[in-house]
Amino acid sequence: MKKQTLILGNGPCAVAVAENLLTVGSKIIIATKDDVGGFIGYADSEDLQILTETRLVSCQGSVGNFRIEATQNNKSVTIDAGRIIIAEEDQRTSNFSRYGLKASSNVIPLSRMKILLNDTSPEESVLSEIKKVIFLTGIVKESTPVIANEVMESSLLLQKEFNIQTYILTKNLKVAGDGLESLYRETKNAGTIYIKFTDSLPGIYQEEDTIRIEFVDEITSRNFRLTPDMTVVDETIVASPYLTDLTKIFHIEADADGFVQADNVHRYPVLTNRKGIMVTGPSRGILTDDDQRIDAENAALAVTGLAEEEMETKLEKAEIHSEKCIQCLNCYHLCPHHAITLNERVEVEPDACEGCGICTANCLGGAIRIKNLNLQAILHQIKTGDVAQAEQTFTPLLVAFCCSRSAVQARELALCMGHELPLGLKVIQVPCAGAISYDHIFAVLKNGADGIMLLTCHKGNCHSERGNIFAGQVVKLIKGIFSIIGFEKERLSIQTLASNMGTEFSWITNRFEKTIAALGPSRLMKNQWPENQRRPNMKGNTG
Amino acid sequence: MGDKNVLVIGGGTAGLSAAVELANLGVHVELIEKSKFLGGHAIGYTCKAIENTCVKCGACMVEEKLQSAVFHPNINVLAASQVQNISQNNRFSANIRQESLVIDPEKCTNCGLCLNRCPMEGAILQGFSKNNHPFYAVNIKKCLYFKDRSCTICRDECPETAIDLDKKASEHTIEADAVLIAIGFQPFNPKDKPYGYGRFNNVVTGLDLERMLKQSGRVKKPSDNKLPQKIAFIQCVGSRDAKLNHLWCSKVCCGSALRMARLIKERQPKTEIAFFYMDVQTFGKDFEPFYREAQKDIRMIRAIPGDIYEMDDRRLKINFVNNSTHETKEEIVDLVVLSVGITPVEDIGTMSRIFKIGPDESGFLRTDHNGVFTAGTVQGPMSIPETIANSGSVAWKIKKYIDGLTIDD
Ligand SMILES: Cc1cc2nc3c(=O)[nH]c(=O)nc-3n(C[C@H](O)[C@H](O)[C@H](O)COP(=O)(O)OP(=O)(O)OC[C@H]3O[C@@H](n4cnc5c(N)ncnc54)[C@H](O)[C@@H]3O)c2cc1C
Ligand code: SF4
Ligand code: SF4
Repeated sequence: MKKQTLILGNGPCAVAVAENLLTVGSKIIIATKDDVGGFIGYADSEDLQILTETRLVSCQGSVGNFRIEATQNNKSVTIDAGRIIIAEEDQRTSNFSRYGLKASSNVIPLSRMKILLNDTSPEESVLSEIKKVIFLTGIVKESTPVIANEVMESSLLLQKEFNIQTYILTKNLKVAGDGLESLYRETKNAGTIYIKFTDSLPGIYQEEDTIRIEFVDEITSRNFRLTPDMTVVDETIVASPYLTDLTKIFHIEADADGFVQADNVHRYPVLTNRKGIMVTGPSRGILTDDDQRIDAENAALAVTGLAEEEMETKLEKAEIHSEKCIQCLNCYHLCPHHAITLNERVEVEPDACEGCGICTANCLGGAIRIKNLNLQAILHQIKTGDVAQAEQTFTPLLVAFCCSRSAVQARELALCMGHELPLGLKVIQVPCAGAISYDHIFAVLKNGADGIMLLTCHKGNCHSERGNIFAGQVVKLIKGIFSIIGFEKERLSIQTLASNMGTEFSWITNRFEKTIAALGPSRLMKNQWPENQRRPNMKGNTG
Repeated sequence: MGDKNVLVIGGGTAGLSAAVELANLGVHVELIEKSKFLGGHAIGYTCKAIENTCVKCGACMVEEKLQSAVFHPNINVLAASQVQNISQNNRFSANIRQESLVIDPEKCTNCGLCLNRCPMEGAILQGFSKNNHPFYAVNIKKCLYFKDRSCTICRDECPETAIDLDKKASEHTIEADAVLIAIGFQPFNPKDKPYGYGRFNNVVTGLDLERMLKQSGRVKKPSDNKLPQKIAFIQCVGSRDAKLNHLWCSKVCCGSALRMARLIKERQPKTEIAFFYMDVQTFGKDFEPFYREAQKDIRMIRAIPGDIYEMDDRRLKINFVNNSTHETKEEIVDLVVLSVGITPVEDIGTMSRIFKIGPDESGFLRTDHNGVFTAGTVQGPMSIPETIANSGSVAWKIKKYIDGLTIDD
């Protein structure tokens, strides 16, 4: 049985998501912290329920089985849902202070101008008194195509319908959106004057009711002074503050501006770090209306796709052996996919687990196991003495723990491209470099490695978001230990790669081989080798 | 469910993404690609990460889509194939012609011997992705055997006997419930601009630079394979150009060029870089900090150059008008990168004829009517992430259409 999908929000994007899901017969429940908004005219039915004035409080469970507690007018309600789609609207802040301006009857924000243009007929509008309007956009901080579109559309209407001379003052005009370059040409033809700044900035002075803008035109080098009847100040689109609550409730990652999608290409368009929780439109970034509609369709697709797809079985999932668990809760706090639940016991939700292994690497009780991270299996892959040694030169045994999503792929590409890789390179595929623990590194050293590399995804590109950062911390700490015990730090290295970096894979591994060859065999190996099997310059190594 | 078939034309970012989404919904997909390799333009793009940090160029997402598509049990791929004609009678019936693929994928081990031994430049093509198997292909337009049967070196030397130079082209018929046109874009050809592309070796396009970086990890001057000391990027070549009636911004070139410029600065720090532009477009969520850093390392010049001359020592002289002084200025560099834009692809003409749908006033093609859909840059400029989102939404529309849930007008 497919469970209902919970949609959060009441704006156009939430409505678009709902419409798409209703068309294919999905059951939905809508929870909005405000009134019905865009859902006006929708009646509750077997497939649809609308909860207004409803704020979420907590969320338990995982994909297919979320249980959400919320409050509706101070009463608490419980919502069960299989998937969740966040579609809350964004907000706007006016940029008056950026330009040193204060709002007044003739200094207005962009949204106000849009209302003036929409609400009244040309004859009776306050705009009928006005002759000259200036738009300030993207001068102090860069703007976006969404705002540029509104500025240009407003300016076009003012020129055409109201016969008002408009000026657009900007730095970089943002035309990277559908139809914006032709809109720009159209406004210019209609009479809008563009003044662009590169290195200089205009002086903006507000005295009682008058605004004075002084600047040197960068094209003609002449001094100009403009005294508009009305000044329109652009706006910044910001994330709804409610999103901050939602990120905490759902344990999902946000970007630097508070939108609920980490800035990671693997989440595009609508995914989050949690399976079954999608984010769309104005909740994930600054998007045009068209892009919001596209998001809504992608969210519907993700819900349907997930529901129909047999839950991935290929992945090795984490298992907790409860007799060993000491309830340190490291796994609970570190799991990037929030797949650990706390009931009587600490447990892994198999459907939510992505098998990254970050929990295993950090489990104090050694209670969590993932099959392909098993130490014995790994050691088996790097049996000592595997590397054929030439007479004179030393070929180091290099063990590279490679992230399956990036470095493993990069290596295959390097081989296809015909790059030579170090002879003694042993690649150990791991689901995520964040799964590598001290145990792995020391065991591998003890078993014959002359050098160890952790090859991870670039920062911001990790499927488990921070797996590469955890790996970096492990390396840093072990290098600290190495320097205390006088072991060469260079024998351990961490580097980042993407799946398409075949050439770089060969650079990195070959450079590492050179470094290690120069150091000679690891001193840990010296006494473990029978005399007749010692590698060529092992004798020279005083260690 | 499971008995519906969709024909996807074009195996670039758009075609691959839509195919994977449809296949995940249990729809069977026949994907046909004109060239020898899947992945379209973007499979040749370089990773532009700097300081071990991803800059969100999106190139690796294409690799990921390609991998999902080639291993998907619901997707059947025909490379080197084109639609001959199509008839519609409730369902679509398409005749497809597949060029001879010469190298047997079952036997080929990607050893690369054919490329090394081939005497004819450009006759053995090399792919960009390990997910395109074989990694090599015979280009019958250049191959001497196809010209006059004068050479059989690759066939004779291939250790796996994987090469069959007499392999014939084949015909296929595909029945489908819906068709997706995802034939992508044409990079603007700058040879008619006064920048000397095609005449001066060291004038390259952004696309050439992407591939050069992906292949070798470095920028070199094509004339002598040495590292350039000074590089100039020229933006908006073929975009935002009223003279060409190209009234669109290609959206992706500022991001691609500035990211590559910073990558070059990281790898070849001695290189000086000048960047000619009209307006820098916002790309990515981290645009502000990225652009701030870029301005420290890269000389930004707000002007679009008039023309370029090659000097005796093969350096290039760029003429432009300095905005603030009105003087004609010149800039001498070793390598020029033209940021060529996204323009309508040639085969839009063929598709318009086959499916009886007209392009828009800019020449791009957009439709979702009567079982024929478009996705990706065939509709107009889009970045990789936008293409993927667009293709997801189109896949959703197709699914609704084939399930009879769309009311067509
Ligand atoms: C210089 C440059 C740099 C760029 N850099 C970036 C970047 O860094 N980041 C980013 O996000 N975007 C970038 N882009 C944009 C990116 O290339 C596109 O978003 C992406 O390639 C679009 O994919 P597509 O599938 O629509 O088109 P394409 O990549 O063009 O793929 C179309 C496919 O269809 C095939 N085809 C064509 N005609 C036929 C036919 N008749 N029958 C069958 N198959 C056919 C083609 O062979 C091709 O494989 C850049 C673009 C340019 C020009
Ligand atoms: S393997 Fe990764 S996803 Fe699975 S429970 Fe452990 S930390 Fe979470
Ligand atoms: S998005 Fe681009 S920069 Fe980031 S890892 Fe992928 S290819 Fe590299």
